[in-house]
Amino acid sequence: MSQSSAAQDFVANVQAPQGAVASLAQEGQEGMGALPVPTRKSERWKYSPITAMLARPLRTATAPEGWPGDVEPNPVPGLDAYRIVLVNGHVVPEACDLPVADGVVCMPWCQAVEEGHLADLDWSGYHRREWVGAVHAAHAQDGMFLHVAQGVTLDRPVLVHHHTTGDQVAACPRHRIVVEDQAHAEVVLWHSASNGATGMVNGVLEACVGAGARLGLDKVQHEEGEVFHLAHEHVTQGKDSTFRIHSMTVKGHWVRNELNAVQEGQGAHTIMHGAYLPKDREHVDNHTTMDHTVPNCTSSELYKGILYDRSTGVFNGKVFVRQEAQLTNAYQQNANIVADAGASINAKPELEIYADDVKCSHGCTVGQFDEEALFYLKSRGIGDKAARALMVQAFIGDVLEGMGQEEVAQEVETLLADRHGWS
Amino acid sequence: MLTIKNLHAQVEDTPILNGLNLEIGPGEVHAIMGPNGSGKSTLASVLAGREDYEVTQGSVDFDGTDLLDMDASERARDGLFLAFQYPVEIPGVSNLNFMKAAINGKREHQGLEPISAKDFLALVKEKSALVELAGRLRDRSVNEGFSGGEKKRNEIFQMAMLEPKLAILDETDSGLDIDALRIVSQGVNAMRDAGRSFLVITHYQRLLDHIVPDFVHVLSEGQIVKSGPKELALELEEKGYDWIKEPAV
Repeated sequence: MSQSSAAQDFVANVQAPQGAVASLAQEGQEGMGALPVPTRKSERWKYSPITAMLARPLRTATAPEGWPGDVEPNPVPGLDAYRIVLVNGHVVPEACDLPVADGVVCMPWCQAVEEGHLADLDWSGYHRREWVGAVHAAHAQDGMFLHVAQGVTLDRPVLVHHHTTGDQVAACPRHRIVVEDQAHAEVVLWHSASNGATGMVNGVLEACVGAGARLGLDKVQHEEGEVFHLAHEHVTQGKDSTFRIHSMTVKGHWVRNELNAVQEGQGAHTIMHGAYLPKDREHVDNHTTMDHTVPNCTSSELYKGILYDRSTGVFNGKVFVRQEAQLTNAYQQNANIVADAGASINAKPELEIYADDVKCSHGCTVGQFDEEALFYLKSRGIGDKAARALMVQAFIGDVLEGMGQEEVAQEVETLLADRHGWS
Repeated sequence: MLTIKNLHAQVEDTPILNGLNLEIGPGEVHAIMGPNGSGKSTLASVLAGREDYEVTQGSVDFDGTDLLDMDASERARDGLFLAFQYPVEIPGVSNLNFMKAAINGKREHQGLEPISAKDFLALVKEKSALVELAGRLRDRSVNEGFSGGEKKRNEIFQMAMLEPKLAILDETDSGLDIDALRIVSQGVNAMRDAGRSFLVITHYQRLLDHIVPDFVHVLSEGQIVKSGPKELALELEEKGYDWIKEPAV
């Protein structure tokens, strides 16, 4: 038995999707057979082995009977947003609140496929590059399709809330966002999971941001249980467009975020910011690729992590500046605090620059709490715990501040405060 | 207020304080002078509770409690304040949130409710005016981007906010121009009263023209080798430290 077929056993009991997406599933199946299964031997997966995920067979996540009563469809107090909600990869229509406006198409992804809104199901090609992408494609379920027509600004953000519940579920949500020229959309991607939930969330989001268009994503992972969470976002940007993502991992048993942004038009600007604060034995991996392919573009990348207990983290930030991409201005910063002796981070900036007239700066730090600053705070009567909380809030403050929706940033801070005993 | 008996302290096996004795009564201002390396800043650090310093012998009684048994934040809540020689910059922590946390820490210790936003801002306004920092603390991080003089004024502002029983000023005059020195000294003098004591650590007599002490002590090799009235500072300024060689018996 080959290695890959043994690995595939973990999804042997998961049904392949039918209907309009069967062709994508077929390609996924082929990819699973052809692509190498990630192991510690491959650089990209060295610090995030998926052995434990493969060890326990998953099962098909059947369509839920409505939205779970003990979970808020909108988990963000005060957030005024349209809403599309999913449980285990299935849209729950009765709990959705979709926008109805001229120039806006927002519907479940499967419906969009059936109605022919997606000419190219396999557009990002993730399932042809990565085995886990092929696993996703082979079991792709449903998600959000959002299309904002030229010049249209969505009046409220769209909240996409995915909830995972149950034992050994396989959830493969798939989203597509198209923001046409001069259009603007803000999206909140919220991931939750029930206490005791196990299995895999393997999600893909594809987005096209047109010329002069803007797309902002506030992504929050706040999952109970022991779910393996694989996420891939693939975004292309046109001329003078702006794409922003804030990727906040509040809680997650095992998380691998893989974010790609490709600038295809001059004058594009990309913001990739994120924060991760794992504790216990949690694992959070952020792999990012910033691809500058044309001249006169800018990017700003800032990831900050605080690692507690015996948690582990990975940051890998690739920045490509292609030969054509003169006058690129790329910035990358990754700062980490290893708060406890048992925690660790593997941080690796990777810059590949082929153009000769560019400005690229990057920095990567791994340290402990600043003892001198802690002493200063304590010398004013602030207790150890409160002093550390102030320092942590200051450390991740510049990531939180840049988020698109203030209510989301506030809720992230509240959840972190509860979790880490700051409040 | 403060009774130090036979205090010995070391950093990484290097003894710095070697049997220091000092008694500070309520309302008194004591100055400690001494050459570089005599242990002045170590004394300040040990009293404030810096963890790198190990006390190997002796005792420190602070208003009836064993000071050495408390951590830095407990000492502060009990009324001890250290004005740092080198105030620390803490990017991202706002001055006002910092002070609010400090005040509420102390109030919690005293069994009081957290201070109201209105009272807090009124207090900030009053105390920051004392050191001519009014309106310049809001929206700024703790000491970030402050000039040397502003940092020292911010120390005195914090002292005024927290109203300690005993304030230790560790070379507060270092790096100050004459105007900043005047402002800082005015702030300190405004806080002098019968219940509050000061320990002023300085290398130069200059500061003591502005903050006039009741007692002056000379520290050398980790011991107080001479004590006297305020005039002792002038004598030191004139003659240097060399004439005091032998520890007083």
